[in-house]
Order: sequence, then structure tokens, then C-alpha cells
Amino acid sequence: MKKKVIGLIDGQSGNIGSINKAIKDIIKGRPYQLKIIKSNFNYTSFDKIILPGQGAYATLMSNLKKLKIIQPLKKYLENNSSYLGICVGMQILSDWGYEDKTTRGLGIISGDIKKFKNKKLIIPHMGWNTINLNKDDTIITNNFDKKDFYFVHSYIFQNIKKSDVLAFTLYGQKFPSIVKKGNIYGVQFHPEKSHKHGLNLIKNYILKS
Amino acid sequence: MLKTRIIPCLDVIKNKVVKGVNFKNIRVMGNAVEMAKYYSLSGADELCMLDINASYQNRKTFIKTVESIAKVINIPLTVGGGVSDLSDIADLLNAGADKVSINSAAVKNPKLIRQASLRHGSQCIVVAIDGKRHKNKMKVVIKGGREITKNELITWAKQVQSLGAGEILMTSMDTDGVQNGFDSNMLKKVTSSVSIPVIASGGVGSLEHFYLGHLTKSTGLLAASVFHARKFKIKTVKKYLSSKGVPVRL
Repeated sequence: MKKKVIGLIDGQSGNIGSINKAIKDIIKGRPYQLKIIKSNFNYTSFDKIILPGQGAYATLMSNLKKLKIIQPLKKYLENNSSYLGICVGMQILSDWGYEDKTTRGLGIISGDIKKFKNKKLIIPHMGWNTINLNKDDTIITNNFDKKDFYFVHSYIFQNIKKSDVLAFTLYGQKFPSIVKKGNIYGVQFHPEKSHKHGLNLIKNYILKS
Repeated sequence: MLKTRIIPCLDVIKNKVVKGVNFKNIRVMGNAVEMAKYYSLSGADELCMLDINASYQNRKTFIKTVESIAKVINIPLTVGGGVSDLSDIADLLNAGADKVSINSAAVKNPKLIRQASLRHGSQCIVVAIDGKRHKNKMKVVIKGGREITKNELITWAKQVQSLGAGEILMTSMDTDGVQNGFDSNMLKKVTSSVSIPVIASGGVGSLEHFYLGHLTKSTGLLAASVFHARKFKIKTVKKYLSSKGVPVRL
């Protein structure tokens, strides 16, 4: 049987160690192989791509540009191929990011990335918070509704179509914590830091979606 | 709703968790990797580990310990102690730390906070501040409280925020190690002057102390001895806080 190929993009936006290890543990003994993407790649040779990210939107976009990853990634996503973006890896699916400077995103899920509106909030939104599912989905089993995941971010997905929001979280306001369009997923929290529920989410994404 | 974080702190020499008051009578509490694994499994929301004897000889072993811990836990890991420049920060992040805490190096060279947060993002730069009352003023101290700096505590807290720190780990040297409770007065002054998250540290001895810590608007509550000595389990603390209406991850 041909092995499914998972690509893990190293966008030099934080450490990929935890997610790398989580994926390896999941695919051990299963018909999958993991490849780290660090430069231009052939988008037709991947079954799934995961892009973790920390830090700023503009930094990740400029890193991906320098590494020549933008073009193949865009093509991959425009094909509605399977993708999981984590934190900034989710945010860059939007049209525009407004962190530090205005930056054009990948334009896959319409909306913008802007700062939390409430000026009285403690920012970054850092710690464990609850996700509320709008609907059920194959990667998100019923068990994840009202479960806690680890967040660390100051910017959120805004002006997004309701139909693209799979789950939301409350922090001063409602904001999307899981987005989905076709086979493309994005999570605002860090599943690789979210203990057993987080690992189950990654597992479900890899094995079930 | 955002949950209040319960954070066990490991004071580490090489690969051992130790306990000692002002570096005297240092006692080994256990193996750092084993303890980290235990806390991650038993409900800790984050883990903090500090190299309390960051000498050149011990550093390599310490970094290996960070690597081993990062491999066995899947909650956020903050690492500090002996961080003096950008390359120390990069080394710890590469070893698997999610956040790096800077203390006296930030006092000596505040620009380090800006450089580090620009390079790695504010979310992974924690500034640890040790505070102490001195002549009716709250001052920043270094070297475990032995050296009083010219920095006024609140001014410094505001400054580290504007330099790009993502979080403050606030320890009161007036209450640390004595288990009489967090320094509520000092913590409230800090949380009301900054808008970044503050972790309360220093002085927990009872369950009620955790609750009083929460009332200071600190979003993380750090403790060492009460957990290492198995006085409380993390679950016990969380159930207690939950019964008082504090949001926690159960």
C-alpha cells in the first residue's frame, strides 16, 4: 500500500519540535510518512500539509516568501487539498493581516486578522480556554465541544463568513477558534500544547480527515 | 472563559529538582524529567523550570534536561535561569522551551527584551521580576534578593511591557519561601499597571493562598514546594479553586 505523505512546513516561526514529535508518535506503525517542507515543493506529492506558527503574521508570510513556499502552498490550497494551520498558520489563510504592518495573506478563507477589540483585556490571550462547536465535523469528535485548549495570541480572525467558523471561543468577545473551508482547517490554539485533547485533534486530523 | 493557570515550578541543578533556601541546605527533591512528566499528566496547565546554578559546567546537562522534558510533556514549558543573551534564548527555544524567562540580564540590559521579542515574538519572552520592599518603596532586586537595583518595581513592570515582554513572572522576595501566601499587595500593584499576563510567584502554603492569588488578577499561579512535597495535588488545588468560582481546567 502506498504511504500517505504528510508535509510539515517549517516556516521558521517558532519551534516545530512538539508538533513534529506528535505527528511521528501518531503515524508510527501506520501507512504514513512525514516530510519536513523547508523550501519550494511539489504540491501534488502531499496528501496533507500542516503549518504551525508562532509570532507575527507579517514575519511568517515573509519567511514563506523567502523560502519559496508561498506559490506551491497557494496552489495546494486552491486545489482544496487537506491542510491544518495552527495559530499563525491558520491566520495567514485570511485576506489580510494587520499585525505590525498590513500584510496580504493567502486569501483562502475570506476575512482579516485584527487585534482583540476590547482595550481592557489582558493581551496576549494566554492560557486554556473553551471551544464551542458550531457544528460537528469528522476531525472534531463530539467530545471536543466545551473542552479546553491552550491559546497564545493577540490577534483574531474577523469579518469571516459564519459558514467558515467551526468553533468559537469567548475572550472579551466571540472569536473563531477553529475555521474550516472544504478540506482546509485552521485552529487558533496550539493542539501540540493542549495535552490529550490537543493530541487527539491532531490524530483525528491525520487519521480521519 | 479563560482559565487561571496552575504552574508548578522546578528549580533545577543539572537534571535534579532541588529545594534550598537562599542556596543553602540544598536538598534533592527528585529527577527533573520524571517530575515534569508527572505534573503534565496530573493536570498542570504549564510547567516552569529554572536553572538555579547556571554555571558553564552545569549548563550542558541542564539543556539536555530541557530537551528530555520537552519530549515527554505536551503542555507549555517556560525555561529560565542564567539567561544572559540572545544566544542563550535561542539555545533554550531550540531545546524545546516554549517560552524563555529573563531576569537579571533584562535589568542590566533592557534592550535584550526588545531584541528577543522582535526575533522570537513577544509570546515566548517572559520577564521574571523579583520585587522587594526597601525603605518604603517596592524595588527590583537581583541575585536572589541580595542586590537591590535602582529600578522602582512598577516603573520596571511598565517598561518591560513596552519593550515587548509577553508576560511577567512576578516573585516577591518578601514572601518567597515562607509559605505565608502570595504578596497580594505587590501583585495587585503590578497587575493594575500592566495589560500583559502576570504569573504570581512566591509564598504559597495553603489552598486559600491560591484563591487569594487569583484575586490579585494574576492569570497564572506558580508554586514549587507545596507540589514537590506532595502537600497538595494539582487536582486538589483546582477543585478547591473551582468550588470558589474560579475558572480552572479540570
